[in-house]
Amino acid sequence: MFEKIFQFEVFNNNDLLSVIALIFGILTFASLLFFAIGKIKPDWNISELKSRTRSWWVMSFIFIIATMFSNTISYIAIAFLSFVAFRELYSILGFRDSDRYAILWAYFSIPIQYFLAYIGWYGAFIIFIPVIMFLLIPLRLVLKGDTKGIIKSMSSIHWILMLTVFGLSHMAYFLSLPEIPGFENGGRGLLLFLVFLTEINDVLQFTFGKIFGKRKIIPSISPNKTWEGFIGGLICTTIIGYFISFLTPLSTFEVLFASFMIAFAGFSGDLVMSSIKRDLGVKDTSTAIPGHGGILDRIDSLSFTAPAFFHFIYYLAY
Amino acid sequence: MQKYILQFIYSFVLRIFLKLIVGVKFDDASFLEKEEQFVILSNHNSHLDTLSIMASLPSSIIHRVKPVAAGDYFGRNKLISWFSRFFINAVLLERNGVSEKSKGSPLAVIEKAIDEGYSLILFPEGTRGQPEKMKTLKRGIGIVLSKNKHVKYVPVYMDGMGKNLPKGETLIVPYNAKIKYGTPKTVVSDDSKEIMTQIENDILTLKAELL
Repeated sequence: MFEKIFQFEVFNNNDLLSVIALIFGILTFASLLFFAIGKIKPDWNISELKSRTRSWWVMSFIFIIATMFSNTISYIAIAFLSFVAFRELYSILGFRDSDRYAILWAYFSIPIQYFLAYIGWYGAFIIFIPVIMFLLIPLRLVLKGDTKGIIKSMSSIHWILMLTVFGLSHMAYFLSLPEIPGFENGGRGLLLFLVFLTEINDVLQFTFGKIFGKRKIIPSISPNKTWEGFIGGLICTTIIGYFISFLTPLSTFEVLFASFMIAFAGFSGDLVMSSIKRDLGVKDTSTAIPGHGGILDRIDSLSFTAPAFFHFIYYLAY
Repeated sequence: MQKYILQFIYSFVLRIFLKLIVGVKFDDASFLEKEEQFVILSNHNSHLDTLSIMASLPSSIIHRVKPVAAGDYFGRNKLISWFSRFFINAVLLERNGVSEKSKGSPLAVIEKAIDEGYSLILFPEGTRGQPEKMKTLKRGIGIVLSKNKHVKYVPVYMDGMGKNLPKGETLIVPYNAKIKYGTPKTVVSDDSKEIMTQIENDILTLKAELL
C-alpha cells in the first residue's frame, strides 16, 4: 500500500535532483543576497522582496513534496490548488445570490476533471470543461429562473473554470502521460520543466522590470509590465530552458521554442489576470501568500503556460 | 470532558475545515487569553458565524465562552437543546418575550452566565440578516453590560459568511470569508442606548478596516 502511493525513484534520478538542487540554490542565493543588502544598506526598503523570497521557499517545498514523491498526492494537491484559486476568483468577481447552485456545480467539476486526468481518459479530460460544463452551467442558471444579469453570470463562471480548473488540470495530466522508451523523466520531468520555467520567467520579468524597466507595454492595465522586463525575461527563460532541456524528450530547437512559448504565455496570463483585477479595482486577489498577494496572483501565468506547453509536447512526443 | 471535546471539534476539526474548504481567514485572537471575562459582539449573517468565532478562539479558553443562541430554534426539543448545550456550549435565550416556563426577564439567562464567570458570544442584531447589511442592534446586551462594568466587550466583524451559507440555505458554497477582531473595550455609560451606538460604531469601524 505504502509503496503504491509513494515512489522514491526521484532520488535515483539525477536529472530531477539537479533541477531541485538548482531551485534551492537560487533561493539560497536570493536569501543571502537580501540578507547582505539588509546589512549593507539598511535604508533600502526590501521587506517586500524578503517576504516574497520566504514565500518562495514555502511554495517550493510544498510543490516538490506534493509532486515528486507520489502520483496520487500530486493529483489531489493540484486539484486543491485549483479549488483554492477557483474560490478566490469566485469571491472577488461578485455573483448574484441566485448563482449559488451553478457555482456549486462548477465546484464539483474540479474533482471530476482531476479524476479524468487521473485515469488518463484524454478525450473526456479535454472536453469536460470546455464542452460539457460550458453547456451545463447555463442550463443550471436558467433552471433557477433569474434572467436579470444571467449573461454575466454564465460567462464569469465559464471564465473561472477556464482559468482555474481547465488550464491548471493540464499540470496533472502530465503525470498520466504514457512512458516513452528511452525517456526516464516522464511526466514529473515535464511538470518540473513547466513549473520551474513559468515561475523563473515571472521572477525574471519582475527583476528585469525593476532594474531596467522604462517603457511600459500597456500602462492602462499594469504599470509594472515593461518592455525591458518582458524581453529580458523572454531571453533568459529561453536560455534557461535550453540548459534544463534534459527534463524533456524534445530536440534542441523544440526546447528553445517551448521555452520561448512558456515565457510568452506566462506573460499573457499575468497580463490577463492584471486586467481582471484592474476591472474589479483590487490590487491582489487575496492575502493568502505574504509578499505575493493571492494564490491566483501566483498561478495566473501557469493557467496559460500549462495548456500551451502540454499541447505542444503532446503533439510532438506522444 | 466537555472541554476536550469542544477543543477537538472547534480548535482542530472545524478550524481546519473552515480554513481549507470554506475559506475563512482567521484573525489572531490570542489576546483573549489575557482577558478575565468578555462578551464578543458581532454582525450575524450565517450559521457559520458562531462556529467560526468558536474556531477562532484560543483553545485554552474555549470552554469558558458560551454563544448565546435562540431558544426557539436551538432548543426546539429536548434532544436539540441538549445537543446545543453540549456541543455548541450554548446559552439558550427566548427571543419572543418570556415563555411560560422561564419566569422573569429573557435576559436572566445571560446574566446568570455572566455571574457564573462565563464569557459570551452574542449577535446583537438578534437574527441573521442580509449579507453585508447590518440591522439595528437590540438593546439587551447594553443593559447587561451597563450593570456589569467589569465585563469588557470585544467587537468582531465577519465578511463573506452570508455568501458561504446564507439564511434559508442548507448547502455551503465555499467563498473566501474573513473574521476581524477589535480591541476589548470597557463600558462607561449607564445608558444602554448609548452603549449600543458605541458598539455599532465599533463594528462598523472594523468593517471599514476590513474592506
